[in-house]
Amino acid sequence: MTKKLDSFSSEDLMVKTAEEDEFAFEILVRRHQTSVLNLVYRYVGNKTKAKDLAQEVFIRVWRAAKRYEPKAKFTTWIYRITANLCLNELKSVKGKKLVQLESEHEDRQKTNFETHPNASRSPEDLLLAKERSRQVSEALQSLPENQRMALILKRYDNLSYDEIAKIMECSVSAVESLLVRAKRNLQEKLNFFKE
Amino acid sequence: MKCSQVQKRLSAFQDGELKPQEGERVNDHLESCSACRERYAEMEKVWQTLGDFKEILPEPEFYGQLVKKINYSDETRIPVRFSWFFQIFSSPWATATLLIAGILVGTFLGNILAKSDLFPFQQNQPAYSRAASEVFSLKVFDPIPPGTLADKYMRMASY
Repeated sequence: MTKKLDSFSSEDLMVKTAEEDEFAFEILVRRHQTSVLNLVYRYVGNKTKAKDLAQEVFIRVWRAAKRYEPKAKFTTWIYRITANLCLNELKSVKGKKLVQLESEHEDRQKTNFETHPNASRSPEDLLLAKERSRQVSEALQSLPENQRMALILKRYDNLSYDEIAKIMECSVSAVESLLVRAKRNLQEKLNFFKE
Repeated sequence: MKCSQVQKRLSAFQDGELKPQEGERVNDHLESCSACRERYAEMEKVWQTLGDFKEILPEPEFYGQLVKKINYSDETRIPVRFSWFFQIFSSPWATATLLIAGILVGTFLGNILAKSDLFPFQQNQPAYSRAASEVFSLKVFDPIPPGTLADKYMRMASY
C-alpha cells in the first residue's frame, strides 16, 4: 500500500489525505518535512522552535485537507502556510526579546537534530563551519521579516520570483525589490567574510 | 547599457529572472566593465557564503510526535457534530441575542419561583421572625416592599 502511494504526486496524496488516508498523510509528511523544517529553521534561527512550528504546519495541512483544491501546486500551498505561520510567530513575540540564537553546542544538548554528517572533515574545519553557519544565521535573522522570507525561498529552495510572489501573496516586482534590498543588507552584514 | 541600469538588474540577473535578451545585454556589459563585474563578484560571494548555513535533518520521531499532537488536539477539539452551534454563535450579534434571551428566561423563571410556594418561610411563616422573613422574602424585590416608608405613603394616599 505504502509503496504504491510513494509514486503518487503530492497533490494526489493530499486528495487521499482529505479522505483521511493516514498512509498518504505519512508519505506526504516524510516527503516535505525536511524542506518545511529548514524553511522555518532558517527563518526563526532556533531548532527547537523550528521543530514545533514545522509540526504545526503539518497539523494545519491535516485539518485543511478537505478544503485543499488540487489545482493549486502543493509546494506553493504548504510554503504559504509555513510563511504565514512564521510571520505570525514573529508578530506574537514582538515586544519581547527575539529568540536568541543558540550555539550549536547548546542546541545539541536540547535536541537530537543532526546536520549532514561529513566524516572527511577535521574537527577544526567542522568547528569553523559551525561558526560560519552561526554567523550567517545571525545575519539572516537581522533582516526585516519579508526580505528574510523572500531570500530564504530564493537561496535555499531555488524558487522563481513568480512562486515566491504566490507564497508571499505579493507582486513579482515586490519580490524583486525585496531581494535587491535583502542582498544589499546582507552584503554589509557579511562583510567580515571577505578575506 | 549604462552601469546604473545594469546594477539595478544585477540581482534579477543573478537569480536567472531576466528575459534572455536582457540577460545577454547585462552579460555583455559585465564582460566589458570591471566596476560592475566586481560588484557582481561580491554579490556572488555573499550568495555562496549563505550556503554555509547548513541544512538540518528532522528527528526520526518527527512523524510520531506529530501524530500524537494531532490526536491530542483532536481529543480536545469540539466534536464536529456540535461545531455548527459554535459557528452560528461566533458573531457578536448572535452572542448578544443569546445573552438577552438568557436574561429574559432567567427573569421569567425567577418570577415563577417568586410566585410559587417553594420557600419554607412562606409555608410556615410563624416559625421565622418577621425580620428574617423580610430578609429572605422575595418581596424585598417588589417596587414598594411592605413595611417601608414608601409602602406607608402609598397606603395613606389610597385612603
